[in-house]
Amino acid sequence: MDRAALERHFDGVLAAHGPALSRLAGSYTNTPSDRDDLLQEIAIAIWQALPRFRGDCSERTFLFRIAHNRGIAYLARSRSQMPGLAEEIEVHDPAPDPESELAQEQSTARLRRAIHRLPVAYRQVVTLTLEGLGYGEIAEVLGISESNVGVRLSRARQILRESLEDRR
Amino acid sequence: MNLDAELDVWRRQWQSGTTIPLDLRKRVERRSRWMKIGLIADILVTVVMGGGSTVWALRSWQPDTVLLSAAIWLFLAAAWTIVFTFSRGSWSPSAVDTAAFVDLSIRRCRGTLAAIRFAAGLFLCEIAFSLGWIHHYSPEGRKPIWTWLFFSSLRIDIIWLATLAFFGFLIWYRRSQRAELAYLVNLGQSVGTD
Repeated sequence: MDRAALERHFDGVLAAHGPALSRLAGSYTNTPSDRDDLLQEIAIAIWQALPRFRGDCSERTFLFRIAHNRGIAYLARSRSQMPGLAEEIEVHDPAPDPESELAQEQSTARLRRAIHRLPVAYRQVVTLTLEGLGYGEIAEVLGISESNVGVRLSRARQILRESLEDRR
Repeated sequence: MNLDAELDVWRRQWQSGTTIPLDLRKRVERRSRWMKIGLIADILVTVVMGGGSTVWALRSWQPDTVLLSAAIWLFLAAAWTIVFTFSRGSWSPSAVDTAAFVDLSIRRCRGTLAAIRFAAGLFLCEIAFSLGWIHHYSPEGRKPIWTWLFFSSLRIDIIWLATLAFFGFLIWYRRSQRAELAYLVNLGQSVGTD
């Protein structure tokens, strides 16, 4: 693939998966600027890895694997596994009609905070599940067995449910 | 609530926090900035050219200056019509999501490409009028028309050079806009718009 084709492919990949990658980056970071920094790192890593993609797995699996590897590297670097500033977590961009979406925003914000408080191993499984990946794909991304994915997801959901109930 | 329904609700909530790719957001913001700068430039040109020619016409009160002022206002009106027609609905996205940003960028590109065509036509009309006006009202115009048109005076040379530069710029700009449009349409297909 020549450079121009690679650039087009890269732009297309970021346009199609950018929002999901941004949400995944957000699950590893505490502030919008940290999220953007991590997203930048992920984009660079994707750019470097894209020429080596041979279609052994789906493109989405390939991208999320890179994103999670960068996320783990980021956590190891920043040693910030416990989110300290929940109020700084950016929930999402402002909607055109904020009033009508207030209730939705609040429950979304609660869910995001609850996910952010999960241990990393559970957080990864939950975020990938919520991005629409199946057990097999999650297992490929994280390098664990499908049964392990099931166990982690089940525990994560239990914790999330309790966390969301407590804060109602 | 059963387990799958619970997961579906969470999935919708999780994915509702859509963020727009940084590159696309910056592209739209940059273009919005340039649109504002362009609008300010258009207002300045209107004030300087329109106002200046009107003052000149009122002071001298000669047929040539009155005609020039009237023509300038006519051209300015045509230019503003182009500006309003092709920038309508292109000032802000209809929603804060990736598809709306791509859609806005595509509309802006198409509007610009159409405006380029009209701008080229308007510019030709302006050049034709300017040359006709100079030829009719200046002493240089007494020379034979073909001799006068090409390299007979610095003023005419400047008009031709400006025309060449303007069309050179239009060709380059049109090409870049077409390339950007192709890129955006491709992008739109990736995110399911257009």
